[in-house]
Amino acid sequence: MNWIRAGCCCMAGLMLSACSPDGIRPLSDLNGRLASSGEARRDPSLAQEWLATLSSRSGRERIELINLRSGQPTPTPGLNRADAQPVSISLSGDGERLALVRQRDGETELMLYRRSLGLMQQLELNPRGVPRQVSLDGSGKLLAVQVSRGGRWEVDLIPLP
Amino acid sequence: MPRLPLILAMLMTCPWISACAPRAQRAPGGFADRQQLEPALSGDGRLLAVIVDQNGRPTVQLRDRRGGGLIPLRHLNRHQPHSSPSLSWNGRYLAVITQRGSRRMALIEDRLTGRAHPIRLPGNRDPIRLSLAPDARRLALQVADQGRWRVELLDLSGTLEPERPGGERLSDPAGATP
Repeated sequence: MNWIRAGCCCMAGLMLSACSPDGIRPLSDLNGRLASSGEARRDPSLAQEWLATLSSRSGRERIELINLRSGQPTPTPGLNRADAQPVSISLSGDGERLALVRQRDGETELMLYRRSLGLMQQLELNPRGVPRQVSLDGSGKLLAVQVSRGGRWEVDLIPLP
Repeated sequence: MPRLPLILAMLMTCPWISACAPRAQRAPGGFADRQQLEPALSGDGRLLAVIVDQNGRPTVQLRDRRGGGLIPLRHLNRHQPHSSPSLSWNGRYLAVITQRGSRRMALIEDRLTGRAHPIRLPGNRDPIRLSLAPDARRLALQVADQGRWRVELLDLSGTLEPERPGGERLSDPAGATP
């Protein structure tokens, strides 16, 4: 099955390169590794040397952080919880900070994760609202978040310590 | 004495343990006149792209957070609906998913040169979401493939001039700062 999958990836890669007169090329090696993991992936967030995705196997989604140099996932202790469903993710430029929205126990939570410390921090919205989508700036010290309040979508800008 | 390192470590991590405590405030500069979705900050935090409803069509809008003014986009006032905006370090490049006819496609606008870089995916695969690397060397696309989501990475370094933090560029045409 793996060789069939690899073959499909190569074909997709060739087709993609054939359709890119602009010099835009697929990163075939990395794409092959992503595909060979056998996991579905969505909601990509790129940093300089990192890719975060929501990946799922057997229907359960978790956040996966991939080192783009090695193409391998890196451990992220404390980032994923069995009782939480990630909704949206965003990486800082160096991949050190990751903002996320997750659902847990019927609540939607806005969180900030610091990879080197393995520390998860919950952020409050003021005024209260339901977060949906996040975007960190390069330093990871400014967060834009799409929030539902009173049936309207708004964007909050939150400075972070 | 053995407790000293522990106390120091606790003090150092205190702001994070109070995880709970630093209360995030809503920053000034919000745009309350209409609904806004899918925010994307530039790497330097100066620019904010959002999707707004423009005459019933989801349209990307770019603002300078400091002055609050709208920044005109040459190629992105059409081909709606737009979705999933993403900006490079200094906001020179804005990537977004647009529509041409019945097909969805990614498009990167270079605000320095005014060029548009359309990215079409073969095999009737439409991009769903995207993320541009801060230095604009790579683009990640979420696509539907054989009934499930996949993420594919593209190398843009042969097409786009890389951006660096702090406004550094490999070349910097005079007077053309985005």
